[in-house]
Amino acid sequence: MATFAKRYEDPPEVWGIGRIVVDGEVTPWPVAQRDIEDEAGSLASRLAALGLERGGLVLVVAMLSQAVHAVPLERAAGKVGALYSSADATPFDAFRVAALTRQLEPQVVIGITGEVLDGLVEAGRDPIDVLGPVPAVVTADEDAHARLSAGGLSPRRWLKLGPTSAIEGLGDDRPVYDASRWRVEERDGELLVSNAVPRLTDATRLRTGIRGHVVEDGRLSVS
Amino acid sequence: MPRVSGRERRYFSPEIETLPRDEIARVREERLLGDMLPWAYQRSALIRETWDAAGVTPDDVQSMDQFHERVPFIDKDAIRAFRDRHRDPYGGMLCLDPKMTEVFSAIFSTSGTTGDPTPAPYAGRGPSMLVREFWELGCRPGDTFTYCLFTFRGPGIHDTIRGIGATPLFVDHQPADVSQLVRFSRELRPTAWYNLSGPLVIAIEQYAAATGIDLADAFATYQGVTLAGEPIGPRARRRVEDGWGLELFVHTGVGDVGAATECREHDGCHFWEDTCYLESLDPDGVEPVGDGERGELVSTTLLDKIAPLVRYRSDDLVRITHDRCACGRTHGRVWPLGRKGDEVVVDGRSVLPGDLWSAIEAVPETGAGLFQVIRAGREVDRLRLRVGYATDGARGPADLRTRVTESVHRAVGIEPDVELVANEELLRQGPPHKIPRVAKS
Repeated sequence: MATFAKRYEDPPEVWGIGRIVVDGEVTPWPVAQRDIEDEAGSLASRLAALGLERGGLVLVVAMLSQAVHAVPLERAAGKVGALYSSADATPFDAFRVAALTRQLEPQVVIGITGEVLDGLVEAGRDPIDVLGPVPAVVTADEDAHARLSAGGLSPRRWLKLGPTSAIEGLGDDRPVYDASRWRVEERDGELLVSNAVPRLTDATRLRTGIRGHVVEDGRLSVS
Repeated sequence: MPRVSGRERRYFSPEIETLPRDEIARVREERLLGDMLPWAYQRSALIRETWDAAGVTPDDVQSMDQFHERVPFIDKDAIRAFRDRHRDPYGGMLCLDPKMTEVFSAIFSTSGTTGDPTPAPYAGRGPSMLVREFWELGCRPGDTFTYCLFTFRGPGIHDTIRGIGATPLFVDHQPADVSQLVRFSRELRPTAWYNLSGPLVIAIEQYAAATGIDLADAFATYQGVTLAGEPIGPRARRRVEDGWGLELFVHTGVGDVGAATECREHDGCHFWEDTCYLESLDPDGVEPVGDGERGELVSTTLLDKIAPLVRYRSDDLVRITHDRCACGRTHGRVWPLGRKGDEVVVDGRSVLPGDLWSAIEAVPETGAGLFQVIRAGREVDRLRLRVGYATDGARGPADLRTRVTESVHRAVGIEPDVELVANEELLRQGPPHKIPRVAKS
């Protein structure tokens, strides 16, 4: 019975079709299994820089359409020896963020948006009470970052930089990307990204829509 | 292994899907009596506590007759009570330590529609039994498959789509993502789609009305689409099937031990008896009801070693048959009717939300079928309904209230008290794929 799927287990090279924003346009973005695994290998050190340890847990707050960015983080947790859990980055699913934060006591919650904070408030929860006990809270937009900072927390940033991610660590207020895998340049104050290692879908000076500059290879500042 | 196209082939696993009934019984007994019951008793704190209280051990259960006579029930209240008593978020169900990272990769959670979401450790088992359903939808190796859901269910659906040899196309189950759903459907030509729901149907209709897009053209390549979360009324189903050209396959959970999905005969949802054992019992007692009669679904897993449910009273009202389907499959079929906790009895007459659907969606302004039964208790003096309506084009709440009242009265013979609210107000109360059909006030 266990062989029910094996006859057809010949998965296609394309792991899935996600999407990224290129030059302001939502663009379908096919990725391969090896792309996901390679990004996960790269992001494991970023999760470790946020304090995720073996036996710990990271709660990834994202949307299914953000799989190209979120799934490597989930796989990266496994490379650290940790578990992950998931919630949607929507006002409705904010109740799940609150419940899982209380039940599972994650070391890291990554992907908090202004909409998630709105959902907590709408549900009668104080976002600072919910997220305050979490050692590392990482925001996915500036609205959430500003509101949590104003509430006395020290949130870090998660930037979706074309097909890859740049994440601030606990001891670093600059978003860090993997310069061995991605090349980031500036043009007219906008960050452009290219893959430096093979990927199923090549990125060549993709306009990310993020304003900022490269402080040094692998480190950014954003405005 | 060579890729099998098999577009003409009906079954994914023909030898299992058409297994003779006596073989199904043999597999069930072997897995349940010989394996699952001793495992669950030894490792699940709730199962052990419940069985000990009933004075039963696995040694006392050597046949299916003894299973029916002796094995005690559990239900959601028992799991919650254990959770609160022992401060155990898993409710005493877990058979393995969730911190075993060599076994588990993640902890997902239930939808949480009726309370706190229950965490569910995930062991990364690869493709699920849904490969059989996805094959029936028309998905084949090399196809693109629209994966329209949430994140909290984990990667099981993704693994299943890839297990069939298809490529997942990620779409959010959200009104905000409808434009990309339509666009990607047109551009990437997927053949199957998991899942559509009543609220998403409303969002797609609103998008089409605003943009003038031809949905039949955009969705032309789909061979099949699952419909889950909650049923849609017959009129909405006709709009989707005739207007958009989609063939819908009702997809439902079965007692938290698996799923059941219609085949192309659309005559009940197949559940897989090599994975679960389903009983249909008197909703107010313990006696089984006959094939085709209304009963409460009581579920037992045959496969889940992580958090096995054994004789779980699901609160779901169903009809079940074990008759062979016209499609040739031999496994049982289930028709979901509603939840026992959603039933109200008005003047001795039972009313479930499903009984009201057609009457409410028959009125143009309430055609979305968004409504709630106000249920202060099971037995009530008056049938009270909160009904959502489209705020554009209504001839006025008073006239609308009268028409909804008359429509419901004609359908169930009971004159309801109707409170009208905007559709959006009800949609805000639920997760993306359903709304609570019952409210206390």
